[in-house]
Amino acid sequence: MKINWFKYSAPMNFYPLAGKLIPLFWIAAIVLIAGGLYWGFFKTADILNDQKQYYRIIYVHVASAWMAMWLYAVMVFWAMLGLVFNTRLSYMLASATAITGTMMTIIALATGAIWGKTSWGTYWDWDPKLTTFLILLFVYIGYIALQSAIDDVRRSDKASALLALVGLALVPIIYYAVNCPDPTQCASLHQESSLKRVESNILIGMLVTTLGFWMYSFATTLMRARIIVLERERSTTWVSKLPEVLSGVNDPDKGAKS
Amino acid sequence: MIEFFSMGGFGVFIWSAMGIALTLMVLEPVSLMIKRRSVLKQIKRTKRLEARKNRD
Repeated sequence: MKINWFKYSAPMNFYPLAGKLIPLFWIAAIVLIAGGLYWGFFKTADILNDQKQYYRIIYVHVASAWMAMWLYAVMVFWAMLGLVFNTRLSYMLASATAITGTMMTIIALATGAIWGKTSWGTYWDWDPKLTTFLILLFVYIGYIALQSAIDDVRRSDKASALLALVGLALVPIIYYAVNCPDPTQCASLHQESSLKRVESNILIGMLVTTLGFWMYSFATTLMRARIIVLERERSTTWVSKLPEVLSGVNDPDKGAKS
Repeated sequence: MIEFFSMGGFGVFIWSAMGIALTLMVLEPVSLMIKRRSVLKQIKRTKRLEARKNRD
């Protein structure tokens, strides 16, 4: 079967498809997050002694931190696609991804601070990983702010896409902030991000939760993208023929007094 | 049970981390549903006004 992907680059075709996919992503997200956390809390009881219990923050911390960086890359991908092919939907998806990405960054920073308090004795330190991650939050906020600061949709899409592209430099910097090629040159409180160092049962909990966070990101991004589509395409005929719009419009006198 | 929630004395930290994540991840979809409803309402109102204008 050959799928014509370009068909779905039209908001008119994307909108109903996304509507069908959203519930599926929600089911997957809830099952995976619940399953991952269950495994992480109940199947690892004998692995962590009481002094190490705080390690369980890893499930939400790593999941949200990975998503924060991954969604940034996804956002840049859509922004680039928009710049190259000038497709409206790509820009809409880019801006829909930004807010979920921002939220994941906030979760990662907050849970990281709590974890820091338990293992390093401090909520915050100007460690390379933490600092670059804070800058990632500012870049996300900058992208959203820039987009809402320019009234003309086409211009705001292009300008914010360029900002997103420049900010992409941060992603490898965040990665190398701890996986330093020469440990004598960069001292870091934050531990190296190496999957080999995580015990396998904890790793299962962490990876399944991460997958759940990913499905969650799909669900919320598609939900937001559908809202953006409605807002931007409101004057088109296909929007006015949508069942959710038609109900309540057929009777012109309804709400006439309001 | 109490032992489980106290998490070796780290309960406050662990559950507040889980709580922050959960709260934000519930608030986001709820705010999206509210937003969608208000956008649909606005579109409908515009369409009704148009329909009325065309009829008169």
